[in-house]
Amino acid sequence: MGNGKTEQITFRIQRYDPEKGTKPHSQEFIVPSTKGMTVLDGLIYIKENLDSTIAFRTSCRMAICGSCGMLVNNYPHLACHTQIEEFHSSRLTIKPLPNFPIIKDLVVDLMPFFEVHKSIKPYILRGDSEEMEDPTSEFSQSHQAMESFLQFTYCIKCGICVSACPTSASDKLFHGPQALAQCYRYCADDRDAGEPERFPVVSTDHGVWHCHLAGACSESCPKGVDPALAIQLLKRRLASRTLGLGKKKPPASTMPPPQQNKPKLPFPDFTVKQG
Amino acid sequence: MRRYTYLWLMQLVSGVLIAVLLGIHMVIQHLEDILRFLGFNLNNPASWNSMIERSRQVTWAGIYIALLAVLLYHALNGLRNVILELTPSARTERVVTWAILAFGIVVFIWASYVPIALLSR
Repeated sequence: MGNGKTEQITFRIQRYDPEKGTKPHSQEFIVPSTKGMTVLDGLIYIKENLDSTIAFRTSCRMAICGSCGMLVNNYPHLACHTQIEEFHSSRLTIKPLPNFPIIKDLVVDLMPFFEVHKSIKPYILRGDSEEMEDPTSEFSQSHQAMESFLQFTYCIKCGICVSACPTSASDKLFHGPQALAQCYRYCADDRDAGEPERFPVVSTDHGVWHCHLAGACSESCPKGVDPALAIQLLKRRLASRTLGLGKKKPPASTMPPPQQNKPKLPFPDFTVKQG
Repeated sequence: MRRYTYLWLMQLVSGVLIAVLLGIHMVIQHLEDILRFLGFNLNNPASWNSMIERSRQVTWAGIYIALLAVLLYHALNGLRNVILELTPSARTERVVTWAILAFGIVVFIWASYVPIALLSR
């Protein structure tokens, strides 16, 4: 906890327990907040001191696992990455991420989200299946080639972009910015040759063509991935391939790992007697 | 798969064509003074006589029919996308697509009759 003056912040949290048959309703908690405290710190305080039944996801506390996405004052945030102080308000309204079914309280069902992600085959696809199964060499990828898609690899699958997306709100079959951005991430990776498998999945009425470039996904993304950019680049790539424009580059070649020229370091003596 | 790509590409292209063709129409209709300043004297293009004279030229008939076609495509494809976003189902898609296609063809035939008929006057 940070040092300094303690302020009493009202956390108005949406509660919902389908097992008890109640409708979603709000419950308020008073949380003593100090400088440096995050929304997640407040929720943990509530769970430890005020109401242990409140349900929310948390894991890393450092904006890398993507577990704690939720709506804070009507905007999706990672609770661990959001300071209470930044709202300049003594009242926070916390709800589960929209566009997902609610399991309980602030916990949403992310399985459909993960299924859509899985459908775009989010892994390197190549023709040399023997090498993929039993690798003997390294991929020859330049730094420049990696830089061309690197920002899209920062996705932590938190679901915040999908919750912010207005098309995801109206079209339940829309793939969502996360899956589409990851589709581009792999298609742009020059180690990959999976466009023929991925394009039929995303080039549909409920796929990439339903993105209207609202940009809410990029604005809300806590990791700076810019999925809107990835989607527009994916549209460009799809259109180019369909029209037969642009040169299709072969996937990055493989090369044997560097020779071990340096002598191996001597193995240190055991500090505990063996045997 | 390619069908959806072509639909989207045509939406882009028709948007650009609307800007060009409608731009020509708007300039002719409303910016006569500026055109006269630039050396193009159109003799009151909004008048009935000027319109009839223009309509007897194949180029102008072509421009108006092309404008009709791209406008119809752009508007009706956009409407189709909005409807399908709000009511996504395979059956809805079929019904909406065929209904909009039929409506578009009927309107195109009916409206392009005017410039074609005027060509032969």
